[in-house]
Amino acid sequence: MIPVRCITCGKAISAYFDEYKKRTDNGENPKEVLDDLGLTRYCCRRMLIAHVEVW
Amino acid sequence: MMALEDLVVREEEGSKMEIDIKNKAENKLIFIVDSVDVSFLNALRRICTMEVPTITIEAVEIYKNNSTLFDEVLAHRLGLVPLISDLESTESILVPEECDCEDHCPRCSVSLVLKERGPKIVYSKDFSPTDPKIKPVYDTIPLLKLGEDEEVELEAIAQLGIGLEHAKWQPTTACAYRYYPLIKLDKSCEACGKCAEECPRGVLEFDEKKNKIKIVDLENCSMCKTCMSICEAGAIEVMPHEGKFIFRIETDGSLSPEEVLTSAGDILAGKSEKVVTFCKEGGS
Repeated sequence: MIPVRCITCGKAISAYFDEYKKRTDNGENPKEVLDDLGLTRYCCRRMLIAHVEVW
Repeated sequence: MMALEDLVVREEEGSKMEIDIKNKAENKLIFIVDSVDVSFLNALRRICTMEVPTITIEAVEIYKNNSTLFDEVLAHRLGLVPLISDLESTESILVPEECDCEDHCPRCSVSLVLKERGPKIVYSKDFSPTDPKIKPVYDTIPLLKLGEDEEVELEAIAQLGIGLEHAKWQPTTACAYRYYPLIKLDKSCEACGKCAEECPRGVLEFDEKKNKIKIVDLENCSMCKTCMSICEAGAIEVMPHEGKFIFRIETDGSLSPEEVLTSAGDILAGKSEKVVTFCKEGGS
């Protein structure tokens, strides 16, 4: 499970994870998706980019 | 503000301060403050992050949980979910310390019930709150995954609290200020254009027609002073603009940035008022 909030700044990034995953699975560029979702800081961006859903 | 009423307010001190909103989005506010000092602005910033109350899940009573997620991990996740805690919805709720109950009661808490059966992903929207106004800010936060025949049944107790006690009660995510940059260009400039080339943030631009260096994006300057070290003539100088700041506040959605600032101002005024009362009456 993805952490509820960004570990560094506390933004509730998990709320955007489903959309991020859906859109990147459809072949969209992760950079553009993150910009579109309004995740501008690199602390929040790495939360989504680096997350691997294990189960 | 009763004690402050008969006090002569030094209007000219307060009126010098100027605020100019630069950027405003849903949960984000960037503004420029002029004619203030660091101590005041820092007090405001610290109150914004640490002392503005919000409502968050504090206790979880788990009746059933046979999912793969442990009870304590689940409770921790629930605590981090931001809940809508604007003044209108929280005004009737008491602060736990002021309530005379032992643990929690309907006067100082709100409960949110979660009852789900797998297989499915349980989201923050699946909460059924007893008070319809106190609900998660986002509907799409995944709380846990339930497999076949797995069940979860719990009651989450949300209470008011402040960031000093636990970071989950902080209304702000990013809340910081920085000096407004001041760039001085001297007449000894040889118009070599090196500073514009080296600037990592595109603050400077070389105007070939006028053969002059132009400041195009001053507010983006981070005062790294790369331009100063590259300039052979020593014609450029970067320094902080005294008393002018760029303040940036972003919230987790539980409160709007304006509400956080208003609340912080109120808390600061309340503290100042205590000092005034103490000076006039000699303490309580």
